[in-house]
Amino acid sequence: MVTVCTDTPEEIQKGYRKHELGAVMLSDRDLAVTDAFGLRNLGFHSGPFGLEGLPVPTSMLIGSDGTVLWVDQAENYQRRNGPEVVEVALQRYL
Amino acid sequence: MSVDSRPVGENLVNTQSNKLGTRLGFAAFGVAALTMVAWFRQINQVDIPENRIVFAALFLTALVLAISAFVKRTRWFGAIPALLAIVIGGFFPFSMTISRQEVATTGIQVGQTMPEFKALNRKGEWFDSASLDGKPTLIKFFRGHW
Repeated sequence: MVTVCTDTPEEIQKGYRKHELGAVMLSDRDLAVTDAFGLRNLGFHSGPFGLEGLPVPTSMLIGSDGTVLWVDQAENYQRRNGPEVVEVALQRYL
Repeated sequence: MSVDSRPVGENLVNTQSNKLGTRLGFAAFGVAALTMVAWFRQINQVDIPENRIVFAALFLTALVLAISAFVKRTRWFGAIPALLAIVIGGFFPFSMTISRQEVATTGIQVGQTMPEFKALNRKGEWFDSASLDGKPTLIKFFRGHW
């Protein structure tokens, strides 16, 4: 599992200790990865100051050949799907 | 000698109005606070409803109650909860209106190949997406800690 957000590596490290996620957690301060996937939020930017933008919360499954198998995206950041949605997708596609 | 030259009747009306205003201030805060607690509870359970009209209505009710507290001239100790209710009752509906997000139509879609990327990991080392080759992967983009 890989996570991407705009936090700095230091901030991610703090969160990693707190939540003990066994994931590769990447820092995308300049939104390079977000833009490579085309996931920058073009709506109102409600992020912290000094940040260009934020990704739209998105989960996706990539097959072993690098093909995108499944995408789940939140249209509204106050609403996002719970872990069960990802579990169903994992069972279905992998 | 009376310090206040206004007729006794007017004073009485003002006092009653003050009482009503103060009560409205507290009522406004009550509605705002309870709605906010319910909101955060739902957020913790990742269960904010798609249709948030009830939340919006309750927050706006608190806002209206708080404003009428000032119209009815609340006492100072009713003004504090009324001000809090205005902040809460105004902020949450505002945050709902700005929470919609859009991505470009060129965004990643099912069937496409994952783009290659490099990024710093939590230890400050470079991570290359090439290391994911041959492995099924779950990738999550999120809004960060703040």
